[in-house]
Amino acid sequence: MRGLLSMYQRGSLSLWRRTKTLTTTNEPYRILLSGSFSTDPDGNQSSKVNIFDRQLKRKQRDRAAWLMRPNDSFVDAVAENLLDRLEDCKKSFPTALCLGGSLEAVRRLLGGRGGIEKLIMMDTSYDMIKLCKDTEKDVHNKNIETSYMVGDEEFLPLKESSVDVVLSCLGLHWTNDLPGSMIQCRLALKPDGIFLGAILGGETLKELRIACTVAQMEREGGISPRISPLAQVRDAGNLLSRAGFALPGVDVDEYVVKYQSALELIEHLRSMGETNALLQRNNMLNRETALATAAIYDSMFAAEDGTIPATFQVIFMTGWREHSSQQKAKRRGSATVSFKDIQKKFGNGN
Amino acid sequence: MVRASLMLLKDAGRGFCKSLSQILVCPLSKQPLRYSEETNSLISDAIGVSFPIKDGIPCLVPMDGKIIEADDMPKADDAADLSSKNNQ
Repeated sequence: MRGLLSMYQRGSLSLWRRTKTLTTTNEPYRILLSGSFSTDPDGNQSSKVNIFDRQLKRKQRDRAAWLMRPNDSFVDAVAENLLDRLEDCKKSFPTALCLGGSLEAVRRLLGGRGGIEKLIMMDTSYDMIKLCKDTEKDVHNKNIETSYMVGDEEFLPLKESSVDVVLSCLGLHWTNDLPGSMIQCRLALKPDGIFLGAILGGETLKELRIACTVAQMEREGGISPRISPLAQVRDAGNLLSRAGFALPGVDVDEYVVKYQSALELIEHLRSMGETNALLQRNNMLNRETALATAAIYDSMFAAEDGTIPATFQVIFMTGWREHSSQQKAKRRGSATVSFKDIQKKFGNGN
Repeated sequence: MVRASLMLLKDAGRGFCKSLSQILVCPLSKQPLRYSEETNSLISDAIGVSFPIKDGIPCLVPMDGKIIEADDMPKADDAADLSSKNNQ
């Protein structure tokens, strides 16, 4: 047995640690458990770690299609901000792909921006897409040819170099493999096409995070993940450059939404399809804990007028697919003028 | 083979949006899709999986795909591998 364990130790330290903790707690299952960790082919071959339950997210988005509010001010503000970026470009983008998230708001607020002629709307939820299709006639985008499909951002079913712009409004933070999805977006873009993404950042729902933790500690004596891990601002820039986008740009906006009570906040999250979809979530929510969370939220964060604030941090990412017309940094060491000479010429003040 | 499936895709415009059919590929293999009229589905010949079209909306989530059991599928084994991975 000792020999077996030391073999694992050589192979991987984390594996050994895991086995060790298991053996101390579950003596009879020692061999069985350590064996199952080492022979599982998927565990060794794929480096992919699944954080989110994508299937559950689909269901939540199906429900959100029915619960959706017609004019959600927060979603509209984010979509408006994202689409505003299209106006900053002189280029026009005839073919657009709109990925999941608040795609209904994106279409409604498009208003002829970016010279979009063809719009492809994609979501993981069939009901959401169906809703968009059914409400097509209510939107006054007469000269935009819209097509619909159900697809997964992690497995983008688009031919290479086929669209001019990829819009993703509040959807990509639920992907397990965010860099992979962004690489697929880049490949789907034509050269000199633009990727515009809005994801929720790490500061999002910090009040709820605190309230949940305190309430769970108090009532259950331990905590379980209730709010998903979100990307930090510094990660967003790395993500863009890792996905191979040229001229990456990241900026952050914070929205504070006021609610009458914490329960109203949860209802809003539900209508956006943004409720907990972690794989390691606790399936049970104790009624006591839920009420305690609401009470703690209220007592810790309530404003003077009785409303409670919730922070949403939105990270906007912009990236281009490479093209020869874009400006590029020169190769290292290719300079012909020394910085010392420049200083001599211009730095008289020092 | 590829040319043939492209020809078929051009005719597929009746089932769903025509402009969409020109840029859709299989989500797993990124190979072209073939439109099958009798089953009203998109078939990825490369991995032998068919994706349904519901109400004119193609459903290309790997979980929605069905493995085709027919004899004319040359690489049925690959398909079984891929889809079993996805079902996990």
